[in-house]
Formats: sequence, C-alpha cells, structure tokens
Amino acid sequence: MSNLPLIAIVDDDDAVREALFDLLQVEGLSARTFENGAALLGDAEAEGFDCIITDVRMPEIDGLELQRQLRARGSAVPVIFITSSVEDSTRARALLGGAAAWFTKPVADEALLGALRAALDGRMSAGAQPDD
Amino acid sequence: MPRERLLPRFGDSRDEGTAAWWAFDISATRDVIESFGESKPENWIELIVGSIRIADVNQNIVHLVGPYAGRERMIGQPLIAYHPTESWPMLADLVMTALANGGTELTRAVTSLAFTDCTMRLLADDANPDILFLSVDGKVFENRTFWTVRASEQRYRNLLYHLPTALLQIDASAIGEVYQGLRRSGITDLRRHVEENPELIATANRIVMVTDANARAADLLGAADVAQLIGPVCYLFEASPEAALRVMIARFEGRRSHADTMRLRTFDGRLLDVAITVTYPMPPERLDVTLISLEDISDRLRTDAQLRQLQADYSRAARISMLGELATSIAHEVNQPLSAIVTNAETNLRWLSREVPNLEKVGQLTARIAESARRASDIVQRIRGMAARREPERVPLDLNDVIDEALIFVRHETESRSIALVTKLGDRLPLVLGDRVQLQQVIVNLLINAVQALALAGATHGRIELETADTGAAVTFTIRDSGPGIAQEHLERIFGSFFTTKDDGIGIGLALCQSIIAAHGGTIAVSNHPEGGAIFRFSLPAAKA
Repeated sequence: MSNLPLIAIVDDDDAVREALFDLLQVEGLSARTFENGAALLGDAEAEGFDCIITDVRMPEIDGLELQRQLRARGSAVPVIFITSSVEDSTRARALLGGAAAWFTKPVADEALLGALRAALDGRMSAGAQPDD
Repeated sequence: MPRERLLPRFGDSRDEGTAAWWAFDISATRDVIESFGESKPENWIELIVGSIRIADVNQNIVHLVGPYAGRERMIGQPLIAYHPTESWPMLADLVMTALANGGTELTRAVTSLAFTDCTMRLLADDANPDILFLSVDGKVFENRTFWTVRASEQRYRNLLYHLPTALLQIDASAIGEVYQGLRRSGITDLRRHVEENPELIATANRIVMVTDANARAADLLGAADVAQLIGPVCYLFEASPEAALRVMIARFEGRRSHADTMRLRTFDGRLLDVAITVTYPMPPERLDVTLISLEDISDRLRTDAQLRQLQADYSRAARISMLGELATSIAHEVNQPLSAIVTNAETNLRWLSREVPNLEKVGQLTARIAESARRASDIVQRIRGMAARREPERVPLDLNDVIDEALIFVRHETESRSIALVTKLGDRLPLVLGDRVQLQQVIVNLLINAVQALALAGATHGRIELETADTGAAVTFTIRDSGPGIAQEHLERIFGSFFTTKDDGIGIGLALCQSIIAAHGGTIAVSNHPEGGAIFRFSLPAAKA
C-alpha cells in the first residue's frame, strides 16, 4: 500500500459527487468517483480503496448493499455514509454493517474530513500492524 | 302511401279548374242513419257528418280549407276536421237524402261563406257504394281568401306571442337595399368595408326595425311592455357592436341563419349573456321577415364558471395532497443541490484561505454553486406551480418535457425502492394543447400508483416503463409497471370517483386523471399486459400546426 490514500466517492447526483471530489482535492487527497454501487463493484480496483464515501439511496445497488458486498468479498474498507434521508433504521443497519461514519446532507466539511482522517488513520495503523 | 285519385264523374262540372270536390268515405254512415230509427236525435247533423271520412279531395279544397301539408295529410281523416261548419246541416241533409234514394244525383243551391251562387252536387260512385262525391261549385269570394290569410296570420301571431322563447320580428328590408347597392358597387367583403366605413353599423342599427315581439322578449329585455321594443334594433346591440357586425355579415353573405352569443344591456340596466339566433328571410325577401330569438344564458355561463372553478379547486386540493405524499422525495430533490452548494462553498473558503488562493478553482466552484442554486430554485418553482391557485390554461406543450418535469417529483420514490424507471420518449412529438401543471399531475399520479402497486406486491427490482408516441392525430403516453396488474373486476370501475383498493386512499386520483384528460379532449384507458403488470395509456389530440 502506498502512502497516498485513495478514496472512492459514490453518489448518483453529479453535483454532489463533484463537490465532494473537489473538497478532497483541496485537502490534497486523491479520489475517484462512481455513479452508483454497481459501478464501483464492477471496477477492477474495487477493493483497492482506503475509504469509501457513499450515498445511501441509489438505483440498483444502494450504499448498504455496496457495504454488504464489499464485506462479503472480505474487504474491511471503512465506509462513510452521507444521506439526505433521515431514517434511523437504515442508519442502524449501516452502523451494524461496520460503517465508519454516518452524515446527513448537507454535511459540514470539518466533520466529514475529520471522520475521513480518522478512518484513514485507523486503516493505516491496522494495515501496518502485522509489520510492527 | 301513394294514392290514386278518385275521379268524380260530374258530367259538365268535371272541370277541376272551377269546382271544389270531395270524395267521402261513408262506410260508417249507413249504420249511423239506421240507428236513428223513427225520429232523428237532436245531434243528428254532427253524428252524420262525424261518421264521414275523407277519401279524396282536389286542389281547390286543399287551397280553401286544407292543411299546410296538403292532400296527402287530409285523406283518411274525419271530414269534420276540415269541412266548414256552416255547411254541415246542408251536407248532412244531402247525404241522408242521397242514401235514402239509393244513389240518385242530387243538386242543391246552398249559402256558403266561400262562394256566391253556390251549388252542392252529390253523386254516388257506381264502382264503390261506400264512396260519395260532393262537388261545390260557384264563384269564389275573394273575401274567403282574405279571411284565410288573416286567420293564418292571427295563428302565427298567437304562436309567436305565446312562445316561451323571446322572439323579435325584424324588418330588415332597408338594410337589404343598402347591401344590394354595396354588391352592385363590387363589395364582397363586408367586414373590410365596415372597417373603412364604421358608420354602417350605426346606420343598420337605425334603419333595421323591430316590428313585433312577444311577451317573453319584453320580459327578457326588461321592457315595460312589447310596445317599448318596437322601433330601431339599436338597443339589442348596444353592449355588443361586434355581434351586430357578425349578424350583418351573415345576412350579407346570404346565410339563412346565424347563431351567436353576446352581451345584452336590458332596458332596466342589467347586463345579460344571451344566445342570439337570427333567421334571415327566404327570397323573395320583401315578402318575408327576419326573426331573432334570444335566450338568457347568464345563469348557464355562471354555473359553467362555478363548475370550472370547483373542478380547478378540486384538482388543486388533490395536487397539494399529492405534494404532501411526496414530501420526502421533494425534500431529497431540493436537498441534493443544497448539499452540493454547501460543500462547494466550504471548498472555496479553503482555496481562498491558502497563501496563494487558487482563483481559477474558486471561479469554477462558484459557477457550480450558481448552477446548483438554480437547480434548487427550479424545483421550488415546480412545487409552487403545483400548489398555486391558478386558472387552467391551454398552451402548446411537448409532452416529453412535461414528463421530464414530472419525474422530478417521483425520482426519489423510484430510486429509494430500487425501481428501474425506463423512458422511451418518441422523437419530435407533435405538440399538444394543454395545462402543464394538470398534465404533470396526471403523470405524477400514474407514476405514484405504479410505485405503490410495486411496493404493495413486495416486488424487488420492479420496473416502470414510460413511453410516448406520435399516432398522427394524437400523442399517446403509456406507463407500464411490472406489478401484479389490476384485478379483472376492478378494471371497469377504476376511473370511478371514490374507487380505491388502498387502505389509506380515498379514490380521487384516477377519477381526476380521467376528468383532466377528458377536459383536454383526450381519453385514458387501463389494461393488463399479457406478460403481467398494469398499463395506463392516455392520448391527447395533437395541436394543429
């Protein structure tokens, strides 16, 4: 794993997706964007991301299903959910499925970046553990 | 039934030109006379004449006493319906005598209102014992014709006066002469002529006269009596000069009648909406009159307007209820661009707070902020359009655009339920004339129904297909879902008011869809697809290019 983390942004809304991409860019973080869960899962590097920021409601494969399928593939990648719906049951399911964080749109930049850094730090230390 | 003429054999008076003759069917008369026995009853005249039916008449009889419909209408009818009453005693006596004498020819001088030096001749028919011929001969009084015409006029006046429709009899001969003069000078387009000579309307209003009117007309026009209506027609068209022109043009163009609606100022100052019908004289015009009938349609128009308002209020209430149902979806649609705006603005601040601000990036993001803000504003605009109280309008619309706009309201509903929404919109559809919001309402309504049908069936990965097509005279919209379809027993009633299969539904959605489509001159139908799922299809007439 390189020292430069790679983040996946999954949202079916063009404007939201691009805005998140730009926010990460200004912080010097690299990201790739996907229109929905299916697009990410179909990608050759699907399991190579250090963190996934995803919308919940999406056509075909939604955020929860995306997390479930990644876990099924054995991936422990942290998933941060950003959603515009406020359904506690969905949130609970996401967190039970191992979600790293859950935000409601519009998300504050500090909060999102904080959660992202925490997730990346955890990932880095977890990834470095066996060598320590 | 075609009838052969029964030709009388009257010797020298066989000439139809001078004599009026009847053929009587006396088949019932012998029994009547036999029933008299020894002494004639008091009403013997009525009994005898009343037993006779008309077997035939000639044209002179038709002219003197016949009905408008002529000979055919008289044959087979009772004689008393047409024979002049003053001659009944003489006739009864003649018939009785003739039957007693067994067919002898009888001639008698009689007094008649129609003839001078009048003789009646009765003759039996050798071939048919049930037929008697009666010839009435003499010089015809001119008076009788005069009275007949006068009586007919009186009947006409009575009819006109007591009709429950407001009628005005018009003498438009003076304007007829003006028109002839215009035609002689080569004028064929009266409207254009009036544009150049606007005083012609005033002239017509002055020289065209109301010569008679009925009680209902006086009532409708708020006049004290009919006399107040006699005179120039100007009062009829005071509130609607344009209607006066249309009435004039119809006459100028030689039409037999003209129907119109217009505003009418009554003598007591009310303003009415009336339907006016003008029947113009048949040639030769100087012998005929123009008739105008008026009907007060103010109440009808008011009721129509109230009904339209009620329907508009009703569909608005349904739209607002629909917006309520879609609140989550709508909130999501607005929240997406707002969320992008917030993130973009915060990113901008980060770029600006750098030692060397990246102004290029800031400019790019600011443009995106503006775009997202516009998008949010558009959505709010649409919601406002759905909720606003407004008059329905008819504007040319591309149905595909209407669908695009309608989808905004339900996109989140389909996405959140993982329903695939497939649109197959036809290319270059003809425009339809319609109300954008109402048609959106129909489409959203059908979409919600489809989503709910899929949800109710617990379908995962449901599918909704939208299709538009050009069928030449119409544009069709079809929505098909992959749900369970409509139960056969519900297909018939599904557009009825208050029909619902939903626990929380009140059953106005589809009824409203139908009334909206019908008000647009279209039709809506439901069916089940052979491979499953319900199909709703409406078609709207293509606007004429």
